[in-house]
Amino acid sequence: MAEQRGEESLRRYEEINERVKKGDAAVMTAEEFVQAVRATGLVKAAKEVDVVTTGTFGAMCSSGAFLNFGHADPPIKMWHCWLNDVPAYRGLAAVDAYIGATAMSETRGFEYGGGHVIEDLANGREIQLRADAYGTDCYPRKYVETTVRLDDLNQAVLLNPRNAYQRYNAATNSTDRTIYTYMGVLRPHCGNVTFSGSGQLSPVHKDAGLETIGLGTRIFLGGAQGHVIGEGTQHSPKTQFGTLMVKGDLKQMDGRYLKGATFHRYGTSLYVGLGIPIPLINERVAATAALGDDEIHTSIVDYGIPSRDRPNFGRVSYAQLRAGKVEVNARSVPSSPLSSYKVAREIAEALKKWIQEGLFLLSRPIELLADDREFRPMRLRRAEPRVGDIMTRPVVTAKPTDRIEAVASTLVRGNIDHLPILDDDGSLIGIVTSWDLAKALALRKTSLAEIMTTKVITAQPQDSLDVAIQKMTRYNISGLPVVDDAEHVVGIITSDDVSKKVVGRRPA
Amino acid sequence: MKLRLTYPPEHVNEPILFLAAREADVLLNILEAAVNSEKGEITVSVEASEERLNRLIEFLQGHGVQVEKLTQALQVDATRCISCGACISPCPVDAIRFRPDWSVEFIEEKCVGCGICTVACPVRAVKLL
Repeated sequence: MAEQRGEESLRRYEEINERVKKGDAAVMTAEEFVQAVRATGLVKAAKEVDVVTTGTFGAMCSSGAFLNFGHADPPIKMWHCWLNDVPAYRGLAAVDAYIGATAMSETRGFEYGGGHVIEDLANGREIQLRADAYGTDCYPRKYVETTVRLDDLNQAVLLNPRNAYQRYNAATNSTDRTIYTYMGVLRPHCGNVTFSGSGQLSPVHKDAGLETIGLGTRIFLGGAQGHVIGEGTQHSPKTQFGTLMVKGDLKQMDGRYLKGATFHRYGTSLYVGLGIPIPLINERVAATAALGDDEIHTSIVDYGIPSRDRPNFGRVSYAQLRAGKVEVNARSVPSSPLSSYKVAREIAEALKKWIQEGLFLLSRPIELLADDREFRPMRLRRAEPRVGDIMTRPVVTAKPTDRIEAVASTLVRGNIDHLPILDDDGSLIGIVTSWDLAKALALRKTSLAEIMTTKVITAQPQDSLDVAIQKMTRYNISGLPVVDDAEHVVGIITSDDVSKKVVGRRPA
Repeated sequence: MKLRLTYPPEHVNEPILFLAAREADVLLNILEAAVNSEKGEITVSVEASEERLNRLIEFLQGHGVQVEKLTQALQVDATRCISCGACISPCPVDAIRFRPDWSVEFIEEKCVGCGICTVACPVRAVKLL
């Protein structure tokens, strides 16, 4: 019979902790262990090493802190609450709040958010607290404004619903403009690749079978000791996208390992420092702890495509990504991380030192995490029209050789503003709008070829309306010819179509 | 060496830069160019001896072009930088790289001052002067 998940066939937690207490536990960082296994083989290294330490320091949006402010006199049952103008969640008891990393300041926007509030708290800085209320018999106060520091709070508990992704997609951008995403700045034409995760130091990847990580696992969190309290949201170990929910006492933490972040034109987040000790309880655990950057792979995904199912450009290893050059579309482009390998290393080292010095005991999980979850998409049960459903067809078109007067009367007769120009094969080569015709008249031009716009922005029938509208807004235009895969015009969608046919789609 | 050249409107239509490069016999690379009705501004990088560089600058100035030497464009707050590397691959001129210890290094001579690193930095540690 196969060994049970979590089987302690190489060593038991009690034995490890005995050695930790005596100060003679054999501890290596994951980086060191990868090298040791390559030098002496897995069996020998697994025998000699008790614990492998890991670390990561990356932007983790699903992070936040529960705070308790204590009662003012007279007391208030906070309805809305702001910390340095960042709204905190207030659907809890009177003076409990949750400040989430991605909540943004109502006065400073992208530049300051919940992540920054947490960093400022951890650094002992003063935070402005504001709250309003409707007033009740037991909580008469309707407004409060004061300042608080971490020391003033009764509890400040970092509780992150989703941290420490086992690995993450690498990102590139196939469009012709720079885009700003939670994966950072992506240059046009797949000009660069960004990635996240610490690869061979990645906490969850070092115990890929989730044999030692579970409810109650003691970890390094933000510079203090914290715990894993369950699987993270979107936990998907089957596809090697396992995640963790973690908790720790913010009052014990160090601002060095909690940094507020801003992703340009995306929003705010929090860099969280997290490290997990992997006790080598059996050889399977040792084998995944020994995986090097060259054995950990991810996919390069096209973030230029605004769809859930983004196309990808193939597989790449963390070793390739970290080397700074990767191939996309047979072209070598620069790659760079978003998470800090330097700080990840520092965390793995710190955790190793804690264990070596007897300051940190390993804990056997009370319950292991699910190893069979998959991340499922949102099902849209309400029918949503797509571009093909509301576009106008058949489309009135013209040829580049058509005379301007004829075209003008076509627009007037059809009561339309946009005229796609097709060549003899029916391929789209330009577009003319009523505004172009006015310009032609002013500049005394006579042929359509002279005035048409040749770089035509188009849509496809299966595109969502949100994407089509975003395109029109971005390029400041009011219509998009709709083309099929063969680039033949099958319809046209205009801002008029959207406003007339779609209003009422979203209930107020 | 990077130079910022500012053209007065009356010279915007003349091929001064080409003539200057030919006169001084230097290779130069245009990093950025913006021309409008009021003035023209071109940023170039030149690798040349002191003597040729001076000849280039003199020729340009002789034709009414203002020449400004661009030095030290970036300011990095080392206490905020977390060495993540988010600024590295967005940089169009490979002016940012990792040191062997995975800290981030800025190579001033390569920087063209485009400022993309200032928006790519999640912790706002980079400023353009």
